Amino acid sequence: MTQSTSGTPVLSVRDLTTSFFSQRGEVQAVRGVSFDVHPGEILGIVGESGSGKSITCMSVLRLLKATGRIKAGSANFDGQDLLALDEADLSDIRGNKIGMIFQDPMTSLNPTLSVGEQVIETILRHRKATRAEARARAIELFELVRIPSAADRLKSYPHEFSGGMRQRVMIAIALACDPRLLIADEPTTALDVTIQRQILGLLRDLQARLGMAVILITHDLGVIAEVTDRIVVMYGGLVMETGPVRELFAHPMHPYTRGLLASVPDLRDDTHRRLTPIPGSPPDMAHPPAGCPFTARCPHAMRQCAAELPPIFGHSQGARCWLHHPDAPRIAGINEVAA
Amino acid sequence: MTEQPLVSIRDLKKHFTVGRKLFGPKPVLRAVDGVDLDIRRGETLGLVGESGCGKSTLARTLIRLYEPTTGSMVFDGQDVAHLSERDLVPFRRRVQMIFQDPYASLNGRMTVRDLIAEPLEIARIGTPESRTAKVHELLARVGLHADHANRFAHEFSGGQRQRIGIARAIALEPDLVICDEPISALDVSVQAQVVNMLEDLQDQLGLTYLFITHDLSMVRHISDRIGVMYLGKIVELASNTDLYARPSHPYTRALLASIPVPDPTATRPADPVRGEIPSAMAVPSGCRFRTRCPMATELCASSEPTLRDIGGGHLAACHYAGTELAA
Ligand SMILES: Nc1ncnc2c1ncn2[C@@H]1O[C@H](COP(=O)(O)OP(=O)(O)OP(=O)(O)O)[C@@H](O)[C@H]1O
Ligand SMILES: Nc1ncnc2c1ncn2[C@@H]1O[C@H](COP(=O)(O)OP(=O)(O)OP(=O)(O)O)[C@@H](O)[C@H]1O
Ligand code: SF4
Ligand code: SF4
Ligand SMILES: [Mg+2]
Ligand SMILES: [Mg+2]
Repeated sequence: MTQSTSGTPVLSVRDLTTSFFSQRGEVQAVRGVSFDVHPGEILGIVGESGSGKSITCMSVLRLLKATGRIKAGSANFDGQDLLALDEADLSDIRGNKIGMIFQDPMTSLNPTLSVGEQVIETILRHRKATRAEARARAIELFELVRIPSAADRLKSYPHEFSGGMRQRVMIAIALACDPRLLIADEPTTALDVTIQRQILGLLRDLQARLGMAVILITHDLGVIAEVTDRIVVMYGGLVMETGPVRELFAHPMHPYTRGLLASVPDLRDDTHRRLTPIPGSPPDMAHPPAGCPFTARCPHAMRQCAAELPPIFGHSQGARCWLHHPDAPRIAGINEVAA
Repeated sequence: MTEQPLVSIRDLKKHFTVGRKLFGPKPVLRAVDGVDLDIRRGETLGLVGESGCGKSTLARTLIRLYEPTTGSMVFDGQDVAHLSERDLVPFRRRVQMIFQDPYASLNGRMTVRDLIAEPLEIARIGTPESRTAKVHELLARVGLHADHANRFAHEFSGGQRQRIGIARAIALEPDLVICDEPISALDVSVQAQVVNMLEDLQDQLGLTYLFITHDLSMVRHISDRIGVMYLGKIVELASNTDLYARPSHPYTRALLASIPVPDPTATRPADPVRGEIPSAMAVPSGCRFRTRCPMATELCASSEPTLRDIGGGHLAACHYAGTELAA
């Protein structure tokens, strides 16, 4: 594994493999994903739609729909394998030691309960506290996530809040029991940029103050650059590249990461310079290619690429690409520093 | 003398009455609330602003999917705000729209050939054979193959479906194409494919674009001029270079400072704007941005700033834009 941060990880995922089964056959959503999250760090998971980001995290929390099945792997949290725990022990960890912010309606707010009641319920489910204590804690949490007139707003219903305020309530619920790990799946995707900025600032601030670890899933490279320490780039159900955010943006090792970074316009450039898209589209996970899933779109694809899936090469920064095999041809900027 | 713009919109309003109230006046939602906007021939005019500020309503009113509440809209010298349904037919051929969701906006039960030929059929142009030939030509233009014509739209990826939507929109050789968030449902790696194609088509066919988006990086790339909308009004409008170099409305400045930049070494300002966008049913008096504006004064509460030229065609609707105070 490629890991730069030392110490015991909060969460250690190994070889996670998850598929969905239907009449149409098997959809191989996650195909052997490994990564660590360390205390006090924000790990970003980035990748395009369908690359397996959400299913990776849903698998770790065992919140998959009935058609989904974890076929292999482990997820070590606090000395326990979450994938082997029984449901009772697991539900004690979910929403307690691991906080979650999902866009998925299953885990979002209940429209028939006041937001205060929903926070109080979460606290009472996991903590020995009186209602009054839970209520006081709820007010404290609303203040923490900067909801104005916190005490009054406890009585409001979700529909009485704006999108940004609802996301603050979701964060308050996720933080209710002082989690050691917060998993946030696209927490700002539905929000406007000015509100997104407020929520990202809040997340970063809370993470530093509470010292928790965060997994932030997004497809927005800007958001990744803005708040994460280390990132995992996913494609076709696999980790394609991983490393510290600065190194990875400065010297992407993987052709997919490079393509992704090159395809977004540079905000500082107003010359109408032509964009550099990645040709083609992502693979269908019902029929994933045998070799590297990026082969059909990769400008450097070699015979070996279609034949065999490459392993991850590298140390603190690593990439799943044959170009990093010691015998591979040299390509400027990828496995060779440009002259 | 400057050339007459292709589109000239003045003080356009589109208000919706909402809710069911038995007594008293029905609440009014001011979705578009006094827009002034010119679109020049052959340009790409970018339109940005946060969710609910009225971008789509403006577009839908311009193509007369919605009846304007008040105001004027002139297209190529003709007043189109008051045309009857019948007189609208030629106008509607000349203005086409590309929608955000390539999944929802195309009928999945129609073949690609029928989808693209439909506007030609409705306009009674050509024979079935000549229409099929035209479909093949359009498919080539948007980078698809002729043998895609017999397949169904649901068999295509998002990027390919958006190409089909674009082929359909240019089938009648329109003058103006309104692109309402044409790339936001697409993957990042595919967005650039579609944007490059839109730019090529503009060069080849001399199209004018109104390009609506949330994406402040992409809008800078694609636009010649950019209008910034807030609560139903254009608050700033300038060339793309000028807008990013000299944003003059406090809202534009907040918006630009909020863009997440894909560069981990970039320095980022702290929360550039407080609070959230007010409801379009309770637009603040005076300047509509004053409840969030860090520079608001008493004047801002009592008097509404007009959209005025602060130099070189750079328009801004702020009492203090272009003055020392705003610098
Ligand atoms: N309930 C399901 N049944 C069948 N396939 C599914 C189901 N949920 C997800 N998948 C498939 O699993 C793969 C991974 O999906 P996942 O939701 O993890 O993607 P993602 O990276 O989170 O994408 P997005 O950015 O769109 O949220 C996709 O190919 C998807 O189609
Ligand atoms: N048919 C309608 N009836 C009533 N209200 C409407 C209608 N269409 C839009 N609105 C309201 O008008 C306002 C402007 O909506 P509009 O869809 O034009 O915004 P937008 O800028 O396109 O937002 P987005 O970026 O989310 O697409 C919103 O408050 C919306 O709820
Ligand atoms: S393994 Fe081959 S196809 Fe895959 S990214 Fe590397 S060079 Fe490209
Ligand atoms: S007019 Fe006043 S409130 Fe409005 S943007 Fe200018 S300074 Fe701010
Ligand atoms: Mg997802
Ligand atoms: Mg819209």
